[in-house]
Amino acid sequence: MSQVKKAIITAVCMALCVVLPLAFHAVPNAGSIYLPMHIPVLLCGLICGWGYGLACGVVGPLLSNLLTGMPPAAVLPAMLVELAVYGIAAGLCISLIRTGKLYADLYISLIAAMLTGRIVAGIARALIFAPGTMTAAAWATSYFVTGLPGIIIQLALLPSIVFALEKARLIPARYPGASGSQ
Amino acid sequence: MNRIPIGVYIPGNSILHRLDARAKLLCLIALTAALIYANSLPGYGIMAALTAILVALSGLKLKAACAPVKQVLPFFAVIFLMNALFNDQGQALWSWWIFNLSPAGMAAGAKVVLKLILLMILFNILMSTTAPMKITAALVSLLRPLGYIRIPVSDLALMISVALQFIPTLMEETEMIRKAQTARGARFESPRLKEKAESIMPLVIPIFISAFKRADELALAMEARGYRGGGQQIKKAAGPLGKSDFAAMLFAAAICWLQIFAL
Repeated sequence: MSQVKKAIITAVCMALCVVLPLAFHAVPNAGSIYLPMHIPVLLCGLICGWGYGLACGVVGPLLSNLLTGMPPAAVLPAMLVELAVYGIAAGLCISLIRTGKLYADLYISLIAAMLTGRIVAGIARALIFAPGTMTAAAWATSYFVTGLPGIIIQLALLPSIVFALEKARLIPARYPGASGSQ
Repeated sequence: MNRIPIGVYIPGNSILHRLDARAKLLCLIALTAALIYANSLPGYGIMAALTAILVALSGLKLKAACAPVKQVLPFFAVIFLMNALFNDQGQALWSWWIFNLSPAGMAAGAKVVLKLILLMILFNILMSTTAPMKITAALVSLLRPLGYIRIPVSDLALMISVALQFIPTLMEETEMIRKAQTARGARFESPRLKEKAESIMPLVIPIFISAFKRADELALAMEARGYRGGGQQIKKAAGPLGKSDFAAMLFAAAICWLQIFAL
């Protein structure tokens, strides 16, 4: 994929970081339950690579905060770290993992990125953003229990989106010629 | 979700339209810092009055300037209620189960919501009075120091600028897809969590496909016109800043200083 296309896809993912949370608005507390901003950042990392994923993870939440007030300024720094790590980890994992099957690559990369992001964000909160107040139980609750519907949605949705985009030829096929293994 | 799209440039010849985009971006940063540090009644009063003056100076209609706020009113209501009902400080006006309505909680909720509203209006003023190309050029100029640590500043500025232009379009498309899926039986407004979760898949996948189609078209168009990335084609903002730009930046810096150190 050309550098221009990667840049424009990243820009679209940044815009989706603002638009998707608004689409989830009907549900109270939707941000922490469905984690809508995670979807474009992870997708950007998976499709465009770690550098673009990092840019999307940093700029997306900043734009959203300025335009819609979400995420609130109090949680923005921790979220920036979390989303930046998602973007980097997703990009690095998908470039390193090649099992020969698209869905296997995507699931392994996604799970690795989601775990890495949550661990780094937890460490950042414990050491920098909320020192002394972060316990293992609080970390598990805020990053895994509250956001469980969001985690399930991401795992169900992201591989389907990548597959749909490949099928629509909007992104290059990862394994050209492979069809049954998809 | 929306009637008046947010972040769309509205051509005009007001004082704010004529200010340099670099100065406007720096003023926005200073005023955002001032808003974050505002913590007293005079502080909030100054910021609210300043925002009202800026709306008047921008020549925008009040409805257009406040359009983004209208779109996230339910979110603000949730923030206000969470602060008002779960604050243990001060004497409660009304208590039931885990809820504890107190004046301190209501004041805290009102402060947070006011800050968010003012921030959104300020950002909307910037976007409505500055042409997208000028914002890109200003970003290239202001982000230039990042180039010393090998961050591709021009590409980053281009991405931010394109993202800002995509937001209104994608919001409109999301609303269209949402309506289409509702007509097909999706239950977005259902109080049941399971039905809401099930309705998300048919909403999100078409949004992404549509957004990526637009990205594909734009990338093709840019490449056809010779753009190859690397940022050589994007010029940084030209010319020195004028007296009015410096005056605006000094004023914004003074407001920021006032909020942090004096109020």
